[in-house]
Amino acid sequence: MSNWTGILELDAEARQGRTVTKNLFFQGAFKIMRPVYLNQSSQPCYYILNPGGGYLDGDTYRMSVSLDKDAKLTLTTQSATKVYKTPIKPAYQETEIYLKEGSYLEYLPDPLIAYKDARYFQKNVVRMEKGATFLYADILTPGWSPEGKHFSYDSLRLLNEIYLEDELVVYDNIRLCPKEKHINDLGFMEGYSHLGSFILIGDRTDTKLLDQLYEIINQETADFKAGLSKLAVPGISIRVMANRTQVIERIFMECHRIVSQEWFHVKPSFLRKY
Amino acid sequence: MDKTLSLFQLCDSNFPTGAFSHSFGLESYIQDGAVYDEVTFSKWLEVYLHEQLVYSDGLAASLVYEALEANNLEKIWELDRKITVQNLARETREGSARMGERMVTIAETLYEAPILTLYKKRIKGKQSFGNPAIVFTMVGHFLQVPKETTLLYYLYSTIASLVQNAVRAIPLGQTVGQKIIYTFQSELTRAVKSITNLSEDEFGIVSPGLELSQMQHERLNIRIFMS
Repeated sequence: MSNWTGILELDAEARQGRTVTKNLFFQGAFKIMRPVYLNQSSQPCYYILNPGGGYLDGDTYRMSVSLDKDAKLTLTTQSATKVYKTPIKPAYQETEIYLKEGSYLEYLPDPLIAYKDARYFQKNVVRMEKGATFLYADILTPGWSPEGKHFSYDSLRLLNEIYLEDELVVYDNIRLCPKEKHINDLGFMEGYSHLGSFILIGDRTDTKLLDQLYEIINQETADFKAGLSKLAVPGISIRVMANRTQVIERIFMECHRIVSQEWFHVKPSFLRKY
Repeated sequence: MDKTLSLFQLCDSNFPTGAFSHSFGLESYIQDGAVYDEVTFSKWLEVYLHEQLVYSDGLAASLVYEALEANNLEKIWELDRKITVQNLARETREGSARMGERMVTIAETLYEAPILTLYKKRIKGKQSFGNPAIVFTMVGHFLQVPKETTLLYYLYSTIASLVQNAVRAIPLGQTVGQKIIYTFQSELTRAVKSITNLSEDEFGIVSPGLELSQMQHERLNIRIFMS
């Protein structure tokens, strides 16, 4: 028996142009549903469930996903990840992702909601071979608090380490501690409550794609602030600050659509959840 | 020769590293009207120092100094990569690398430190990226200047050139600029203290607003800075 609150392992491979499960294991407070091939796609979508309903004090989650050569899949959650108060020990989740040449992983979890006095640390480590593609998005949102004020959580820390051919190519270390810092001030969240991050790594990244993403982001009419830039290797990172989850979701959905169309000539399916 | 004085030469805002052409996102704030005078600029500078510089250049300098003490060169090359790839905004990332390369080239001709020659060679050979905080620390260590002093001088040089840039860009009076640098002494000491208390897993922590402004800089229409 492991000491993890929830553990999940998923390996997938391409068989005759279709991606299928090679190995699947889960235990504790992690579950994964049978893959769905939306719109007769050869690319399955896996939904992760958290039957516990949320992350509690000292909870630890571990996930490992590996895609063999040319395997392509979408990984998402069935609903938002809720982190409740953690008086003794922060909740922790680690994810390891291995992507072989030609594989493509879209990892698009629902937003993370951090409630009053919550502390959460998440570590994603991605190991890619040359020619693999990785698309990731997350949204951090403050949960409702009895006092009705934003930012009642203690701390959120999200670390993304991405290695390409064993060399570190992205090191993204976000930490939000609203109680220690003047979170609404210049340089911090500047009056916004939600933070979205989008990372894309892929050989086909070019200035044209960056321009297209820039254009589509600026078609959003709600109040938001966004920045995007090319990474040290072919890839792009996007950050968005806004006041509503839906605004960031809409922006990232459009960015995802552009990448899917430009690189894979497909229109992404709507990830039905409710 | 006075060793601290030798290191001091690198702090001169006329030392040609190209720092005068990088605002590290400040120009974005100036253009959207958030930074426009002595008070708003000082606020930005404080946040930039304590919420970005401390976790990036500052912590890198501290760790590099320790690695030099332990003669652990692999650790230095790892930090060179880490400080570069944690910088998600292209202009500031490329700007820092370019400044590092220029600084090592000049420093190498001044000081006969084998580590500088090695670092320069690695940068030319694309094995390393280059970073001014790393070069500065190599010089400080070579001159046997203590770690805390090296950190303090590095932060001073960065802050002083940012103030010079703000004086030109906002614009502010020269006297106001000097006043800000003078007032900032206590902030620099506080920053050095927090750097020495940081653990390595705090490396590269960014404040969202600062990072966004650095990314947005590449889309500004009229710009006097390269970042």
